[in-house]
Amino acid sequence: MRWYILHALLHKEFARHLANRGGIALALLLIVAAVLLSLFSPEEATGGTGMVGGVHHCLVECDAESPLVTHLKANIPKELAGQVHFRQLQKPESIEGMVDYQTGIGAIQLRHISAEKSPTGRRAIQVFIWHPDGEPNAMAPYEAWFWRESRRGFAALARQKGVAEVPAEPTFDPESRWLVLEAHKRFQDQVEAVRHASPGSMPVVPDLDIQWKGLGGKVLDFRAAIATGMVVFALYFACVYLLPTLNCEERERGVLLAQALSPASPAEILAAKFLFYPVLGMVLAAVIAGIYKWAVLGSLFFWLSLAAVGGGFLGIGMTVATLAKTQRAAFLGAMCYLLSVSMVLLICSTNGIPFIPYLAVEYHGPRILHAALTGDVYPSHWHHLLAAIGLAGGWLAAAGWLFRRRGWQ
Amino acid sequence: MYGSFAAVDGLDLDIRRGELFGLLGPNGAGKSTTIRVLIGQRRPTAGAVTVAGHDVTRDWARIKPLFGYVPDRENHFEEFTGRRNLEFFGRLYGVPRRRAQDVLEMVELDEAADLPVRGYSLGMRKKLLLARSLLHEPPILYLDEPTANLDIHSAEVVHRILRERVKLGATIILTTHDMDEVETICDRVGIVCRGKLVALDSPLALKQQHTERMVDVIRPDGERMVFDLDTDSGRRQLAELVTAGQAASIRTREFDFHATFLKLTGQEFS
Repeated sequence: MRWYILHALLHKEFARHLANRGGIALALLLIVAAVLLSLFSPEEATGGTGMVGGVHHCLVECDAESPLVTHLKANIPKELAGQVHFRQLQKPESIEGMVDYQTGIGAIQLRHISAEKSPTGRRAIQVFIWHPDGEPNAMAPYEAWFWRESRRGFAALARQKGVAEVPAEPTFDPESRWLVLEAHKRFQDQVEAVRHASPGSMPVVPDLDIQWKGLGGKVLDFRAAIATGMVVFALYFACVYLLPTLNCEERERGVLLAQALSPASPAEILAAKFLFYPVLGMVLAAVIAGIYKWAVLGSLFFWLSLAAVGGGFLGIGMTVATLAKTQRAAFLGAMCYLLSVSMVLLICSTNGIPFIPYLAVEYHGPRILHAALTGDVYPSHWHHLLAAIGLAGGWLAAAGWLFRRRGWQ
Repeated sequence: MYGSFAAVDGLDLDIRRGELFGLLGPNGAGKSTTIRVLIGQRRPTAGAVTVAGHDVTRDWARIKPLFGYVPDRENHFEEFTGRRNLEFFGRLYGVPRRRAQDVLEMVELDEAADLPVRGYSLGMRKKLLLARSLLHEPPILYLDEPTANLDIHSAEVVHRILRERVKLGATIILTTHDMDEVETICDRVGIVCRGKLVALDSPLALKQQHTERMVDVIRPDGERMVFDLDTDSGRRQLAELVTAGQAASIRTREFDFHATFLKLTGQEFS
């Protein structure tokens, strides 16, 4: 590897981007967006805002199938149909004594307590509302549904037990917990009064024990999410778009051949591209991240994440560059890749399909970069980082194998 | 081979050091493919190609600095100026920066050197290709139609440069469709047709060997006659006709290389 040749090739790449100002304009646009993001909504001012109260999915975890659970399953409103998922209650992954779901996911846990196990000697249902830490209101839409349908479910239960006149539904306000409990107690008393039950006898409607708990993860921070998106885009733009399209343009024009016929070896030409585009992407990404949060530049996790995602995108870009014959094919290849991966991830996410998303750099990359940008790095993020590094290695190996087989000419 | 089509088939050619060799042939004859094999861009499916004692396939890295190449299709960085294009390739060859200016002056592009190539005419682009191929003063030059799209003066400049390079000991292989150019500058020519070598000699020798010595005569009544000067009967009949005053017009078929080429490649007009 001769430095003067590598230097000439790197200088050429740089000069080409200076001469073709489109790439520079887009990079500047990203930087300006990062500056605006930083100026108009300083980090200290926001604890996070979210979609549907910051929680895009709600898990309802039940330890047993009961009439209440059956009623809840049968009465999910249309607007929450894709966002509420029922599953068997399992021991959740714990972080520092708190439950941790993925960012943007809250949970309602139902535990049925028998009269024998209950300290009060009466049947009870424990309800745990797991909301993002410090954001109890984030679960409001799900709670409104849950309480309303619980009330209706219990009313149906009372009717089944022969209570003819079930009291009218109260207005549940998830922000006032005591109101919920009072409403339930009142309902319970009314049912018992109608039954003419003797004092101390087992009520038809069980007691409610409600606890609101903060989840380990923070609510999805939109600012951090936008910054993450820009950082990921910077890497994607440099490695998966610019590298293949400019490479194929050189090939189409014949200048790649002219370079190949010069003393520059194929390894040196390849090394220059390997060096230039990921470094360009990483510098742009680091500038954006630094503008968003200066401190992130001192984080080892951030740089490892950047290197892993950059490496993965480089492998993808090189694969596209090797397969595409023309600049247009390279551009379309990059776009098709982006759209198809997004589609697969979306389908898997909305349908709860496991494992397949783990095979995409685009699944792990945003998670680790978002964690790095917010500073909330948990053990699960290190697992994502390892997976991203593994996938990057796989893509680079695939690109190398393809390049050896097909080359660029 | 391009699929099942053999672009060059059993070509056996020995080009001498220090000669200016013209590779001729009709379109699709295999000239450019031959040059692509020589520069290592295409691998021969059979046989061996040796340049300056090195096998092209095995010792490609050693051969590359030995030659300069002017492709048939121009390949420049359009967004760079002519000078920047040359400076970039000059750096790859490790030549001083000043060399770019020297070759620009040599091909008379120095005045347009600082304009972007996208504004160059076809001829200027071709001259820039030649300038690039001369940057490192290679002992071998492969030129694929180096004077295509050039005006008469520019073509003369290119011819002068090529003659100078040959004087300095360089070996030049060029392809062209300009038969005057072939007669003017080539020491030897090889004519390929459908991938095969059909003739190999100096332009003059080929012309003498293959040009027909025919005379076209038009009689006063408009009848047209052709006499072959290579036969006794032809010469006698022509003499009789002229003596009898029965030749209104006499025209010899020109002994040019163009006719030779058409004859050798089977493209004569009837």
